[in-house]
Amino acid sequence: MTKRGQKLVKVLFASMLLTLTVALGGCSGDKAGGDSTQIADTPSTENSEANAGTANETEDAKSHITIGIPQDLDSLVPSLSQGAGTQEILFNIYEGLVKPDSEGNLIPAVASDYSMSEDGLVYTFTLREGIKFHNGNPVSVADVKYSIETCAGLNGGEPVISAFSNVASVETPDERTVVITLKEASSSFVAILSTAEAAIVPADAEDLQNHPVGTGPYKFVSRSLQENVELERFDEYWGEPAHIKNITLKVIADSDSIVMNLKGGAIDMFARISTAQAAELGEDFEVLEGTMNLVQAMYLNNAVAPFDNEKVRQALCYAVNKQEILDFVSEGKGTPVGSSMFPAFGKYYVDLNDTYTTDIEKAKALLTEAGYPDGFSFTVKVPSNYQQHIDTAQVIAEQLKQIGVTANIELIEWETWLNDVYQGRDFEATLVGVDASTVTAGAMLSRFRSDAHNNFTNYNNAEYDAAYEEALAAETASDDDKATECYKKCETILAQTAANVYIQDICELVAIRKGFAGYEFYPLYIQDFSKLYITE
Amino acid sequence: MKYIGKKLVTMLMTLLCISFLVYFAFDLIPGDAALAALGTDASPESLAALREQLGLNRPFLTRYLAWLMDFVRGDFGTSYKYHMPVADMIASKLPITVMMAFISFLMMIVVSLPLGIYTAKHSGKHIDRFIMALNQIMMSVPHFFMGIIITYVFGLVLKLFTPGGFVSYETDFVGFLAYLIFPCIAIALPKIAMSVKMLRSSCIEEAKKDYVRTAYSKGNNTNKVLYRHVLKNAMIPVITLWGMTLADMLVGSIVIEQVFNIPGIGRILLTSISYRDYPVVETIIILIATVVIVTNFCVDVIYQLIDPRISVQD
Repeated sequence: MTKRGQKLVKVLFASMLLTLTVALGGCSGDKAGGDSTQIADTPSTENSEANAGTANETEDAKSHITIGIPQDLDSLVPSLSQGAGTQEILFNIYEGLVKPDSEGNLIPAVASDYSMSEDGLVYTFTLREGIKFHNGNPVSVADVKYSIETCAGLNGGEPVISAFSNVASVETPDERTVVITLKEASSSFVAILSTAEAAIVPADAEDLQNHPVGTGPYKFVSRSLQENVELERFDEYWGEPAHIKNITLKVIADSDSIVMNLKGGAIDMFARISTAQAAELGEDFEVLEGTMNLVQAMYLNNAVAPFDNEKVRQALCYAVNKQEILDFVSEGKGTPVGSSMFPAFGKYYVDLNDTYTTDIEKAKALLTEAGYPDGFSFTVKVPSNYQQHIDTAQVIAEQLKQIGVTANIELIEWETWLNDVYQGRDFEATLVGVDASTVTAGAMLSRFRSDAHNNFTNYNNAEYDAAYEEALAAETASDDDKATECYKKCETILAQTAANVYIQDICELVAIRKGFAGYEFYPLYIQDFSKLYITE
Repeated sequence: MKYIGKKLVTMLMTLLCISFLVYFAFDLIPGDAALAALGTDASPESLAALREQLGLNRPFLTRYLAWLMDFVRGDFGTSYKYHMPVADMIASKLPITVMMAFISFLMMIVVSLPLGIYTAKHSGKHIDRFIMALNQIMMSVPHFFMGIIITYVFGLVLKLFTPGGFVSYETDFVGFLAYLIFPCIAIALPKIAMSVKMLRSSCIEEAKKDYVRTAYSKGNNTNKVLYRHVLKNAMIPVITLWGMTLADMLVGSIVIEQVFNIPGIGRILLTSISYRDYPVVETIIILIATVVIVTNFCVDVIYQLIDPRISVQD
């Protein structure tokens, strides 16, 4: 070997060693950093355990579950959190003045009690006695005032949710009372206080993004981006404490690897798997069945031809066979619906499935009446990340062929869907599921008012608008029966005018390893980990 | 020096072009960060407010230039989705991706060097034919498919590792390395195949040259000729390939990260694209582009050191 060659080899080796040293050094440095924060945390953990007194240490060591989540959390600050997938997890860490229970009722949380003035403008909340934040500090009325004002944009900035722009002022007359005054009466105001954004956070919290502090049954421990989030039971929780001590939320970004992760033992639970995935799981798992709490429909742009013609829309409804869709797509699982409302809404829900029973001849007759005796063709835009919707669109396209109508399926990215279809209203038909953010009838029905900003289907019906106004008026007058009746009328109008081709509330399958139990379905997009427990 | 200076200017120009193209591409595709963030909750007012807050309502060029100025000053911005500094996000994930590329690269060199020489020495024999046939198969299988097969065979059937059981280098460094072995094999295999094939044919090609005959006639035996004379010359094209592979492995790990559920740079890049998280996407793409350009540059320099006949001082 020449001298030059030897020198080169030396240089190469030296640089390789250097790289390795730097890499390892960097890693061990990080590790030390991680350890030191853990050491700092330990005393407080011990304290809280000692306080709780009942915690069984040997049992706690095994008390752990790893839950797969399909995407990482966005912001851990409630008022900045946006994705439904984030908010359903934050439900375990933060609480609002009130929170929803698994029946869809609002139960007091940070507030132990509340009352409304007769004109519906002034709400008085009583702070729960002895309630504490995860950092051990008691919750004060100042924290509540700060949190609500942040949401309402009264601390500077815009209201976080537009409904909060209705808040005129937040007062704290004494140490246990918070008085919220509204600009105009709103029956759904308390429901909005239960949303993830309206959670109560400490007024003096400096870095909620990295160190979330709430009042929920679980407290935040650590997080690694796109990898996992660690939670630990909050032993000073005011309500019934959680059963499982430690939870790891593991991000499984590739839906094809969910089954592999479950079977391989990397995760113990995954919510919202497909029927095909459920079939692959085998006997180590239990598959629980609920509903996703949304209305899956082929939403039609009521402003473009031919869907501006009620008869055409009705013809499509007569041609589509819901049961066949359920059988093909999800082995018959799911709940058919006939309007923009699903059964979990309880008193607001009317079963309108009988409005259209599959009748090809009638559909053809309606098409002829509408001036399309030979049918027509249209494009249905489907977000490409929802296999369930794609499968459904394919079955519908087949069914519509029977009446000479051709549906061309166009798959688009979700962000493109938001931009073109939802905001731009540039579409003929689209197949998606529409859900609700609160258990108020308005969450499902307000979008069909002709002047609603989110009326993406361009539905325009004077009778509907009148019925909706009447419902709102009845709510303001606290006439609940009348309001419910009006909302039901709205649903019926949507069904009779065939606003959209309503299909179903999709079944939700949750895979959970045997040995764990207690999963509860909520009528909203929520995962409640505090009810989970270990059976063996 | 003049050469390096010139190269540096081209490098910066290339990066500038890339950054502009990425920004431009994002401007063309439908949807923006505000819409992606608010989703179906978006009202015209909240959309306008968020766009104002993120500075999205400024004209395209103003936005680009503002971003560029910050970037040059070392401020990579804040992620729209995670509300945390982009630099922190990347710093915590870079070790994972770099480690994967590093291990795969090491695997490639350790396996392909002896195998390439061995097959060259025994060219035409049964063992050579067998290895070359296997090689051909490895070369034609894409690495993500290899990843799926490896997960199935070694993960689910033989249970040598837990699919999806990734642990961070921060919590368990040994476990972290152990989990990376199989993904790295998936990345390395096609590269090993390519490298073996190249080394073999390059050796055989060199062995036919006149100086080899001279070397033999001076009384050297086969091994001496091979290691002292042939190999040195035969390595030149192989080193070019390795240089290119190193960059390729960094990029390739993006795909493999998806298959093995590894939360590295690739995962962040993909989720950020769908979330229209421009600051993150821009920074990662510029990072990758820099790595590719710098490795190519290094290959050029090493090239020159190994073989003084090659001059790049044009």
